[in-house]
Amino acid sequence: MDRKTVLIIGGGVAGMEAARHLRLLGCEPVIVEKSDHLGGHVAGWHKLFPDMLSASSLIERMSEGLDGITIYYKTQVASMNRLKDGFSVVLTNGTGLLCKAVLMASGFSLFEASRKEEYGYGVYDHVITNSDLEYWFNTGDDDRLPENPSNIAFVHCVGSRDLKAGNPQCSKVCCMTAVKQAIEMKEKFPGAQIWCFYMDLRLFGKKYEDFYINAQRDYDVHFVRGRVSEVSEDIDGKVILKAEDTLAGQQVKLKADLLVLMSGMLCNEDTAGLASMVRAEVDSDGFMRSKDNIYGINESSRPGVFFAGACTGTKTVPETVAEARAAALDIFNYLNTND
Amino acid sequence: MKERFATGFDPFVLPFLVGMIFVLGYCLYGIFRILFQLPRQDRRRFLLSLITPKTALKNIWDIFANCLLHVKLWKRNKMLGFMHSSIAFGWFMIILLGHIEVMVYCPERVRLLYYPIFFNYFVAENESTIGGAVLFFLMDFFLLLILTGITLAIIKRVRSRIFGMRRTTRPSALDRVGLYSLWAIFPLRLLAESFTAHISGGSFLTIPANWVFRQFLGNDLNMLPTWWAYSIALGIFMCVLPFTRYMHIPAEMMLIPMRNAGLRIRHPRRGFAKVEVLSCPGCGVCIDACPMSVQKKNIKDCTVYLNRQIRRGNEKRIEEISDKCLLCGKCEAVCQVGVEGPKLRVAQRAARRYGLTPDYSGIDVAPLTAAAKGSKVLYFSGCMTNLTPSIGKAVCSLLDKAGVDYKWMDREEGLCCGRPLLTAGRIDAALGLIRKNEEIIMGSGADTLVLSCPICYKIFTERYSLPGVRVVNYADYFNELVEQGRLKLAKSDICYVYHDPCELGRGCGIYDSPRRLIGQAAGIAEAPACREESICCGGSLGSLTLGFKDREAMTRKALDNLYASRADAIATACPLCLATFSRYSERPVRDLAEVLDAVS
Repeated sequence: MDRKTVLIIGGGVAGMEAARHLRLLGCEPVIVEKSDHLGGHVAGWHKLFPDMLSASSLIERMSEGLDGITIYYKTQVASMNRLKDGFSVVLTNGTGLLCKAVLMASGFSLFEASRKEEYGYGVYDHVITNSDLEYWFNTGDDDRLPENPSNIAFVHCVGSRDLKAGNPQCSKVCCMTAVKQAIEMKEKFPGAQIWCFYMDLRLFGKKYEDFYINAQRDYDVHFVRGRVSEVSEDIDGKVILKAEDTLAGQQVKLKADLLVLMSGMLCNEDTAGLASMVRAEVDSDGFMRSKDNIYGINESSRPGVFFAGACTGTKTVPETVAEARAAALDIFNYLNTND
Repeated sequence: MKERFATGFDPFVLPFLVGMIFVLGYCLYGIFRILFQLPRQDRRRFLLSLITPKTALKNIWDIFANCLLHVKLWKRNKMLGFMHSSIAFGWFMIILLGHIEVMVYCPERVRLLYYPIFFNYFVAENESTIGGAVLFFLMDFFLLLILTGITLAIIKRVRSRIFGMRRTTRPSALDRVGLYSLWAIFPLRLLAESFTAHISGGSFLTIPANWVFRQFLGNDLNMLPTWWAYSIALGIFMCVLPFTRYMHIPAEMMLIPMRNAGLRIRHPRRGFAKVEVLSCPGCGVCIDACPMSVQKKNIKDCTVYLNRQIRRGNEKRIEEISDKCLLCGKCEAVCQVGVEGPKLRVAQRAARRYGLTPDYSGIDVAPLTAAAKGSKVLYFSGCMTNLTPSIGKAVCSLLDKAGVDYKWMDREEGLCCGRPLLTAGRIDAALGLIRKNEEIIMGSGADTLVLSCPICYKIFTERYSLPGVRVVNYADYFNELVEQGRLKLAKSDICYVYHDPCELGRGCGIYDSPRRLIGQAAGIAEAPACREESICCGGSLGSLTLGFKDREAMTRKALDNLYASRADAIATACPLCLATFSRYSERPVRDLAEVLDAVS
């Protein structure tokens, strides 16, 4: 067992980037991916802020570095057992593996928008999520999008920062995603009015604020501070939003042709199961618990178990990429000191 | 028969006499105080009801059935029923027989309070006479009955689970004094009567005991200390009675006639509310019933503890308990004496003064009325249904299929029914909204108002005045449509368990219509706790202070009860139950309208 095999759970951006670097460092990464393709959520996206980089081209570029690395598609981890100096792993496809370290890159799940029943996702004809919209950008295939919309509404924080939905954390990326998608929609439908209903705008990253100013100045996107209280549907199938404009101090009602819900990020449903296999800890928000949140985000409380990306909390793509590289280095150092 | 003492007195009766006079005086004072606290029209109503033969007879029967025989308790729990009725009825019979004895043998002593109680000490009678034999036999028989009850009570104190009670109250210090003196009274009476049985006569219990005692205590000097002990136990019990939970014994006799007279709680502490609080026997049946009791920290927020805190005057806890309650009404449904826990709390909330009272008089109802005009049937979905749009959609689809000509009154704009304000105790504000809604409905020209939300339905039936308009819950309405053949239901092979929403079941008494409809549309199963015993989903608007984590624990408990039915899916008839269950349920949750719409 002197080969430095590292099991990477999840073939999204974090898993791919960590695998590439682990191999450059002389380790032998093995990726276990539950779907049939690499790239995770990003693979389903159209363009990435703030450079409007094409998501598919990013994934393509990242995959180039993975030639020769073992990747198991449509496979999950069935069991992991700690050995004296490593782990014995059995995958759902029956493969058995011995590895020195495990990297959790299991990512997040998207909040199911139908759980916020008041927004009528799955009930009304013209209500979609941010992810549905990206899919439509990519494929142009979705009956819910109207022909010539005159009003398009975005609702921020759907299922994030929401105690009722059991999700108190901020999903971090949806504010910026909404601004980005609002601009893209305005470009596609110049005649439409775009409305964003937000409770706070958290535009913390490089160039995010520029996007926000552009959206208002150049694209005439209306930002309304206030939560949407309820959504109904009129006889023509248009969605009627009732909200409060807390800056103007009045109630507003909007008839929209399309409502886009900014579904937030939840911990991946596999998190607890994976954590229990290696006795790693799960945090109160359901994500993995890092050793600490300042100096040891990539490390777990257990030796040989590392984290990268959104499995420890909501992350942007650049953060995930940076964490993946850091995790690769952490694992490399761990394997060398344990030799 | 002969009297043993010419004076008819012995100092040992003094503890009893003091206790008796104290408790009678206290109760008399209490009755006048409570009568004085009642609003004038309530007082008149109550006093009139006492002299109306019909209610007077009902009062006597209810007191006999509930205070003595504990009929309601028998129906719920045979062991507890037997325990309570054996003590209460047995004691009542001993007192009654004591009086009969005095009236038969020495009528001139009947004015002495203590004579019927200590008859066997003062009077020597031979059981060989037919009167003596019968009376003494009955006395011993009822004493045995009470002793059986006391034995059960002691077992219950140690192991309440044997009686099917998971949790019971922790008695306060004075309650314990009352409890132990009550336990002591009857064994001491047996002892006292046994010691005198060879002089005063006895029966199957006292004579053998007397024989046994005389084998090793062959001395009549032991007689007096036991009678003293018996009298002291009685004296202690009666002296502490007003300050313990045993106050429920006299209070319930006041509560029953007041309730029969139709009185309502009008003040959180005074008048009728006071009698209800005093009538609480502190049995703790409401603890197991309360949905909050799933968390240990909330056990002390149950109605029995509210009553205790009201009696102690602990304002801080009273406010806390009053605000926390979900108002699901289950404690009231299971309460043996009928303490209206939720109403006590709402009255407490209503007693608060707020700096600001919303004013709804400025709302212009003309556009809302115009939108509601045009059909005989109005559908009012309410805010909660508008937040769970699938229900409104299904209701309309069903109405369309049945060919009903209707208007959806609050499809785009509408006013709140007022119930959240009412449960928060803001009655005037609620009435402001109610008046506006009444104006819209009366102006619409409709004659039927269909509601899909039981929260709205309850306030519409209780507080709205809509002459000529029939207010109907959608379950009842769809039932009629099915019976008239306007709505055809196929039968799917899904099996649903029906969850009774608090507001529709305990709140409005509608249990069967939804079941009948689901039974026609799909399979139906029952959960272990259903109908009146249904467990609140935890989402209730009634609570002003419960957090989501606390509510989650309750929702999960309610779901566990529903899962136990092994049905494939859960059906309910309340938008709030639907939203709350959907958040955590492992099985699909559907509203009644959705269940029907899928197969019609």
